[in-house]
Amino acid sequence: MNPLLEVKNLTVQFEKREGTRFSEKKERKKFAAVDSVNFCLYPDEILGIVGESGSGKSTVARAVAGLIPISSGSIVLDGEEITDKKGRDLRMIYKKIQMVFQSPADSFDPRKTLGYSIGESLKNNGMTRKEVRTEVKKLLQSCELPEEFAAKYPREVSGGQCQRAAIARALAIRPKIIVFDEATSALDITVQKKIMELLSGVKKTNGLSYLFICHDLALVHKFCSRILVMHDGKIVEEGEPDAVIGNPRKEYTRQLIDAVL
Amino acid sequence: MIERVKNRLRKRSGKNRIKQRLIIFSVLVALLLLLALFSEKLCPYDPAQQNFAIALEPPGPAHLFGTDRYGRDMLSRVLVGAHISIFSALILVAVITAAGSLIGVAAGYAGGKLDAVVMRISDICLAFPGLIFALAIAAVLNGGVENAVIALAAVSWPKYARLSRSQTLAVKQSDYIQAARLAGNTPVQMILRHILPNIMGQILVTAMLDIGTMMMEIAALSFLGLGAKPPTAEWGSMMSEGRSMLQTYPWVVLTPGIGIFISVALFNLLGDTLRDYMDPRNRRETVKNS
Repeated sequence: MNPLLEVKNLTVQFEKREGTRFSEKKERKKFAAVDSVNFCLYPDEILGIVGESGSGKSTVARAVAGLIPISSGSIVLDGEEITDKKGRDLRMIYKKIQMVFQSPADSFDPRKTLGYSIGESLKNNGMTRKEVRTEVKKLLQSCELPEEFAAKYPREVSGGQCQRAAIARALAIRPKIIVFDEATSALDITVQKKIMELLSGVKKTNGLSYLFICHDLALVHKFCSRILVMHDGKIVEEGEPDAVIGNPRKEYTRQLIDAVL
Repeated sequence: MIERVKNRLRKRSGKNRIKQRLIIFSVLVALLLLLALFSEKLCPYDPAQQNFAIALEPPGPAHLFGTDRYGRDMLSRVLVGAHISIFSALILVAVITAAGSLIGVAAGYAGGKLDAVVMRISDICLAFPGLIFALAIAAVLNGGVENAVIALAAVSWPKYARLSRSQTLAVKQSDYIQAARLAGNTPVQMILRHILPNIMGQILVTAMLDIGTMMMEIAALSFLGLGAKPPTAEWGSMMSEGRSMLQTYPWVVLTPGIGIFISVALFNLLGDTLRDYMDPRNRRETVKNS
């Protein structure tokens, strides 16, 4: 089976400035947030990436979604190299891959209604206002939100409701992959459970693949079909959830599992 | 319990007081603008009509603000002067706000070379004392109100460029901007739909507070002979014309001075109130209370 997303030797470096701006030695140290990472995401799969804070999992998410430039390596999405895409070509990529962010309230423009944000991608891709409106209604319904939410502002709804709206927004353009960057971490456990049920549901109806970034091992164990463990920008272990969590081969994974109470 | 209710009432009344102030000052400023707009119709006399028989008459029933050395009615001249002084300041502020914030947002959003070039130009502009620089430009352009406005615009836009750039950099980090990029917005759409609306409040408040300052700077240029040219009635040049008579015929200087004072004070008070009103600390309270 051909992978939907193929990441080869992905490296993302950030510049770290040492010393003051006017110091004589302008040393620019490069620091690799993600260091030659390889992985594939197959159709209909839920791939979990776990690791501690600063392990580079969010950077992988953003790089794969085309939001940050990568330093080297390649990302092939649905048979198409996206590594050096810019402008219009990059915007076409966003039709295939969408993202749900960690903090629900911060991922919506505070000055726009939820309906506007959900329908924006449709509007940008040539739908008329009327079509967008009916489509937003359908999307809200599929995420179990009442239609009136289209007119609400992000600050007027709860975190769980806002995250449902974020999922509706990610679904709008009918992507093939949705990247979840700690999408359930800011929610309490009961809401988290309902969101996970919703995710399983929409995955089936829309035929999606998920890249699920999370630090909650129990959640990943239950939900994902395969797990990557990241540490210091590298992938240290990969495999089925039962194998990785039940019988970790690497020291770091063991530490990570032991850290759970 | 009672403490809490009291506390809450106090907070609420504080917010209401700001709203009340906002309404009062908005109405006053609106009145001032109407006055400036229809000043020519409100004039009791022709502001340019000279009559040496009644030159330098003190304020009285016939001429409420007295007359100047050419026997022109000061009240009419102050009213007509309001038109030029206030509207040239408004146009100036509108131009620098629009130009400065567009430049700043574009620089902040694009980053890289554009950002570096634009910010160095604005650094150069900021390195000179503003009014002196404006004076030089106005002198080169040969005076006149339009040229004074152009000169002041040329030296004042960097403030807005800097402000909007820093605001853009702050907003650019947020998740909703990334989300909006994923929605397939072009850079221009990003700026118009998501960045400008989110930083507009801060810029507008600064602009409101600047109207007063700009009025004074235009008046200052006119006072120095680089703004409005006689016989055009403009508050700064009127004060300049009468400055030798401050001790003998004070109304010639004081009446346009009071005009400047009142309108600058009104615009500043409105700007201050608007800032208090837009302050997120006050805003959070309204959300909680509602």
